[in-house]
Amino acid sequence: MKANNKMSKITNLVVIVFFSLSIVSCSKEFLDVKVQGGETTTSNPNLAQDLVTGVYSSLLQGDSWGNGDVHGFAFLSATSIASDDADKGSYAADQATTAGQFDNFTLTSTNPFCGTLWSGHYNSIGAANQALKALAPAPLPMATKKILVGEVKFLRGYFYFNLVRFFGGVPLVLQVPKDAHDANTNPVYQTRTAATVVYDSIIRDLHYAIANLPSKAQAGTGHATKGAAQSLLAKVYLYLAQWDSVKALTNQVITSGQYQLVQDYSLQFKQAGNNCSESIFEIETGKFNNSNFGIANWTVSQGPRVGGMGGWNDLGWGFNNPSTALINTYETGDLRKNATIIFIDNSGLHKGTVLWDGFRIPSSDSVQNLYYNYKAYTSSVVPSKETYATPGDKDRPKNIPVLRYADVLLMNAEAALHTGGDAATPVNLVRVRAGLLPKGSVTLADLKQERHVELAMEEDRFWDLVRWGDAASVLGSKGFVAGTHELLPIPATQILLSNGKLTQNPGY
Amino acid sequence: MVRKLLILFLFIPFCALNLLAQNRMISGKVVAKEDGQSLPGVNVVIQGTTRGATTDANGNFKLDLEATDNTLTVSFIGYKTQTITIGSQTSLSIVLESEASQLQEVVVVGYGVQKKSDITGAVANVKGEEMIKQPVLTAAQAIQGKVAGVQIITSGQPGTSPQIRLRGVSTALGATTALFVVDGVLTDDISNVNTADIVDMNILKDASAAAIYGSRGANGVIIITTRKGVSGKIKVSYNNNVGFRQAANLVPMANSAEYNNYVQAASGLIPPASTYNTDWYSVILRNALEQTHNLSFSGGADKSTFLFNVGYMDDNGIVINNNFKRLTMRLNSDYKLTDNLKLGIQSSFASSANQNGFGNLDIDPNGNVGSVYNDAYRAAPIIPSIVNGRYGNSSIYQNVGNPLLDINSNSVKVLENRLQGSSYLEYKPVVWLTLKTSFGADWRNSLNRLYNYQIIADNNTYVTPGGNQQNPLSSLNVKNTQSFRWVWDNTATFSKNVGKHGFTFLVGTTAEKYRLTFVSAFRKSVPADPNLWYIGVGDANTSQNDGGGDMWARNSYLGRLNYSYDGRYLLTATLRRDGSSRLPIQNRWQNYPSVGAAWVLSNEKFMEGQTWFDLLKLRASYGRVGNDQIPTNAYTQTVALNQAYPFLGSGSTATNGAQINQIIDPNITWEITDEYDVATEFSMLHSKLSGEINYYNKTVHNALISVPIPRTVGDADGLIITNAASIQNKGVEIALNWRDAINTNLSYSIGGNITLNTNQVTALNGGQNILDGYVGNQGAVTNTDIGHPVGSFYVLKQTGVFNSDAEAAGYVDKNGVQIQPSAHAGDFKYLDAKGSGPIDINKDRVFVGSYQPKAYYGINGSIKYKNWDFSLTIYGNTGNQVYNGKRGARYAGTDNIEKALVYNRWTPVNHTQTQPAANGGNLPASTYFVESGSFVRINNVTIGYTFSSETLQRLKISTLRVYVVSQNPYTYKKYSGFTSELPGGPTNSGIELSTYPTTRTIAAGISLGF
Repeated sequence: MKANNKMSKITNLVVIVFFSLSIVSCSKEFLDVKVQGGETTTSNPNLAQDLVTGVYSSLLQGDSWGNGDVHGFAFLSATSIASDDADKGSYAADQATTAGQFDNFTLTSTNPFCGTLWSGHYNSIGAANQALKALAPAPLPMATKKILVGEVKFLRGYFYFNLVRFFGGVPLVLQVPKDAHDANTNPVYQTRTAATVVYDSIIRDLHYAIANLPSKAQAGTGHATKGAAQSLLAKVYLYLAQWDSVKALTNQVITSGQYQLVQDYSLQFKQAGNNCSESIFEIETGKFNNSNFGIANWTVSQGPRVGGMGGWNDLGWGFNNPSTALINTYETGDLRKNATIIFIDNSGLHKGTVLWDGFRIPSSDSVQNLYYNYKAYTSSVVPSKETYATPGDKDRPKNIPVLRYADVLLMNAEAALHTGGDAATPVNLVRVRAGLLPKGSVTLADLKQERHVELAMEEDRFWDLVRWGDAASVLGSKGFVAGTHELLPIPATQILLSNGKLTQNPGY
Repeated sequence: MVRKLLILFLFIPFCALNLLAQNRMISGKVVAKEDGQSLPGVNVVIQGTTRGATTDANGNFKLDLEATDNTLTVSFIGYKTQTITIGSQTSLSIVLESEASQLQEVVVVGYGVQKKSDITGAVANVKGEEMIKQPVLTAAQAIQGKVAGVQIITSGQPGTSPQIRLRGVSTALGATTALFVVDGVLTDDISNVNTADIVDMNILKDASAAAIYGSRGANGVIIITTRKGVSGKIKVSYNNNVGFRQAANLVPMANSAEYNNYVQAASGLIPPASTYNTDWYSVILRNALEQTHNLSFSGGADKSTFLFNVGYMDDNGIVINNNFKRLTMRLNSDYKLTDNLKLGIQSSFASSANQNGFGNLDIDPNGNVGSVYNDAYRAAPIIPSIVNGRYGNSSIYQNVGNPLLDINSNSVKVLENRLQGSSYLEYKPVVWLTLKTSFGADWRNSLNRLYNYQIIADNNTYVTPGGNQQNPLSSLNVKNTQSFRWVWDNTATFSKNVGKHGFTFLVGTTAEKYRLTFVSAFRKSVPADPNLWYIGVGDANTSQNDGGGDMWARNSYLGRLNYSYDGRYLLTATLRRDGSSRLPIQNRWQNYPSVGAAWVLSNEKFMEGQTWFDLLKLRASYGRVGNDQIPTNAYTQTVALNQAYPFLGSGSTATNGAQINQIIDPNITWEITDEYDVATEFSMLHSKLSGEINYYNKTVHNALISVPIPRTVGDADGLIITNAASIQNKGVEIALNWRDAINTNLSYSIGGNITLNTNQVTALNGGQNILDGYVGNQGAVTNTDIGHPVGSFYVLKQTGVFNSDAEAAGYVDKNGVQIQPSAHAGDFKYLDAKGSGPIDINKDRVFVGSYQPKAYYGINGSIKYKNWDFSLTIYGNTGNQVYNGKRGARYAGTDNIEKALVYNRWTPVNHTQTQPAANGGNLPASTYFVESGSFVRINNVTIGYTFSSETLQRLKISTLRVYVVSQNPYTYKKYSGFTSELPGGPTNSGIELSTYPTTRTIAAGISLGF
């Protein structure tokens, strides 16, 4: 009897076990496991605004050897090292197959920098398209929404402007892929659009931005403004040689009263000059997560490099050295020369070079190269004269001016040279600030010279040369071939991925 | 009959000499006929009485006899019972013949067991004792070469598991390795399982066998059963092995004079004068001590049994500072609660510490531990490693970082504790029904710690100060990960025989859930004293942290019917229905059916009376398995957080933002594998010869792959996980084994197996080929495309070397266009594959084979003579290609060069057509770097001696064996690099870059039983 009781208890237990398993099995919720630690598009009420910040964030891409570069070492190579502003720098073999190919125009379609410039810009455009998609239904006041859309369109216009100058007509993506199949098969992502169509899209985006963005005085620091959109659109028209539009837009910026030249040219390239009165749009850097936060490698890649006898803790890798051609371009007394170039002491007297913050670089027998980009220098003395989350890092963040008032003045002058009008006044504003005498009249050659020295090492020179048709004559000695090197090669892997639908630029 | 006569014949002399005696004693030894191995646990009973004995671990027994006792009955499960007349003998040597040899073996097939002879799918079995003989970390490595269809790619790195490919490459993501089922717990990593604890491993090779595991079976299933205690006296055993490991194969590098000669020839520059001549490999490598110890206790009473084992392993890597230590404990116990209710628990605890493992770091690495092996390849010999405590400065010489400093400036440690176990309750209410519920759990806690020492590039650190190998502030990075996984299986098994019809029917459900969380922290300026390596010691102003998690669940229903008729016709049908949270709701459930049939010809009437075959079986099966091993968020659009922007500039704190930068496939679905298998199994000549021939054909549909998508869609990594391809594997497996005992003193066995496999991509759903396998500046060197094996090498075809500038200039296509306009004498000549002018390094590529072998094979032999045993394992593969990535990644003019290339290179007087002139690297990917990966290796040689029981009795020891073993003593390979065993992902394997060097081991050990 006792045994029977025990048995039936056990039988009951088994029945219970089998019954309970069916509960587990039958419950649908058991398999409905939500993604852990991954915010979805519905779980963030501020998603649209956050995505707009995310588009700005994509300006900081500097993964030059990896997934994307918008203003990093690859951008530097394609704009500055490729131009007559600068030589590759460092030692001969260093980055010879990446940056070196830009310096001597031996570019191939497998150059990783071409690949990361391509992906970096399309990453940014993707972020912009996603932000626009999220903004459309977002429950925001219409005025706020228009400003946010304007900011995104300004940025998208900027990204396409760089792309079209780098690669010519590119796939014009203004949408978000529906799914994997769409991403892989939709010709939008694989077929090149004529450069003119890309320009039309840039112009449309910037017109929207001009119409909806607030002026600098009303906008938050660092955000895109009406003036920035006007200046950028002026620059776009500059490349299209639509001089009337350039003139009209630059005049609007000039007469807006929002901008003026700073007295000390070099201030703009120090932290103290961040967002100064001359700044129209700049890439902002600072700190995040207790770390320096900027464009990876932008400063360290250009920092003076130890060499020869060594014996000092150097500042970087030593790339992007101002060229002797640039040095020789400056007129005597031009204050911009010493604000743009770090001259390594090569006198044999071992005085070294003392920089604005008191940092002393040893003389040339301990340094790899003779000239470095002063505009990329961050205060390296201990303690630093600038604010950094971790001053000990060599790769300290630095703001990069994208559009500044001097550029607008020179665009205005260039338009005046083509359409008639006063070119001398805007040019002389720039010259006098640089400690030079004003010119009575200005020729196109004067304008080109002024643009060269004013914007030297600011990643603009190569495109100016191409735009003026001067690239072959100026850069021919570096290996530039007309008809090919105006544009970069389309990355080989992208052509393969498109099954050949994406076509290569001529000469590659 | 012959056997009995033989025994009789052997013992006639003893009988003749014997005297009649009262109250005698008799002793003897029982061995198996097939292999001469002694049989423990055999019942020896005096006929007509209840008196008897059981043989000990060495097969010995001893009995007191009364005057009337004259006949012994010797019986053992699975063997034919023998009756022996004692007569006047005092010592017996008894040879038992198995009933149907190993055919009666019971095999674990997933949620149940089956007689091996009744199986209709492809299942292989490897015994634990075969694995424990080898001084390797995991049991998986020990089965290399032992089972047809199972390719094991080993690594010499302590603490790592080998890569396992069953019947070719069939999946591309995540679970490219087989599923392990350890006592019912599903896992993909068995580095915590002590090989000494394993009874056997059953490898479910085909889809019909693995279909009971449904979506978990795509890469095959390996079921591991751990040891249990046996009722009776408590047994204590101890075994160990201690040995040395060294690099199995090194590539000689140029010395300083050769280096200077080569660099000068390549660049025209004369390297700086140096009195040093550093052999970097000898700087970073060592002969390393390895040791393993196991102590186990087992035993039990009528109603309960137990086994407790504690094991310790200390495995030093051959790269200095690299070390793996592991402590394991296992307690397995079984209880008979009532006559029809059983309860059992299997539990194991493993605690391990892995120091400076390559690529073993689960946190952002700042260190160069993983790349040190490649750095040693590139480091210039003219730089000293260390002089009076100061390092040679290779970075200031524009070379790689000093490899010795790479190692000494980082400390990477992974501490892991893991509890794994399962418990079951089995109830047999009636004889034909078994109800079983079992619950398994796997808890892991791992702590990763990375410490980067401060390196100031000054006179205290370096012989010459400067350079970029420096770290201004020390840093500490820790990450703690916890995971818990449980699985609950419930099955009911109905078993009934009706006349000649035998039925076994299994139904069940299983539910499984997994959860992982991690937190990590980082701070700088932590002092160099290891006692201070805690986050709180660092500078709070530099703190960073992170955290996250993962969770998924699976739920399944399963059923299996086994039917047999008269032992002649066998049928197995299974169906599993799997649900997975990893897939979107519309694709969440999938059915996995299988059916297998077999015909046992040897049991047919017409085979009666023949003496050739003990078993002849034909079988055919079809099965479907699947795969859902994708990240849990693959179908959900998530937002990338912390995409910040510091609007105010000037060092201000950034405003947080977000991006949507991953394109997802919301309709992602199961990867499905359909497999057909036809086989014959046989055993003949009294089971001396046995074998199996299998043909299989499996096709993976909708293979889950990370597919590159155009960058223009704005996906941050340019990859999307989707069902992208169909892949086919076809092959034949042949296994043959011969074993025989010539006499009681000498027995031997020899076996061989070979697998021939062809792999091909048959469709690409998105039409998109997959480029992968990135090597330095060469970019992708593999291409996965229709009509070619997965991960095929895709490179320029190097056809020769230009002997003069004129020859290079004269190399033109049909239109007279120069094919290599910038080439000079001594440069490689490449095939203009597309026939259109200048070489295009993308378009003129050709497919030149893949890392997948066309065949792989193993040969296993053993001899037992008296107390001596000897065994040998050979493993090899053929028809695969490997990519010499170390050569391909050379890119700086200061990089060192292989010694052979200094002498064999093209020069104006040596017009070799296979090596280029001296160069600074940066050669495009070409067939020059693709080499044959074929190799054959003596995997293991063991010689052992087992002491006879007479000697041991005085020492109160029941068994003692001593042995010497050499693992990987010799490899014959064609490849000019370090090792052609190169694990990797499906689309990027077979490329040698920073692979840990393979090792050779010599060890000695004892195994002792009380």
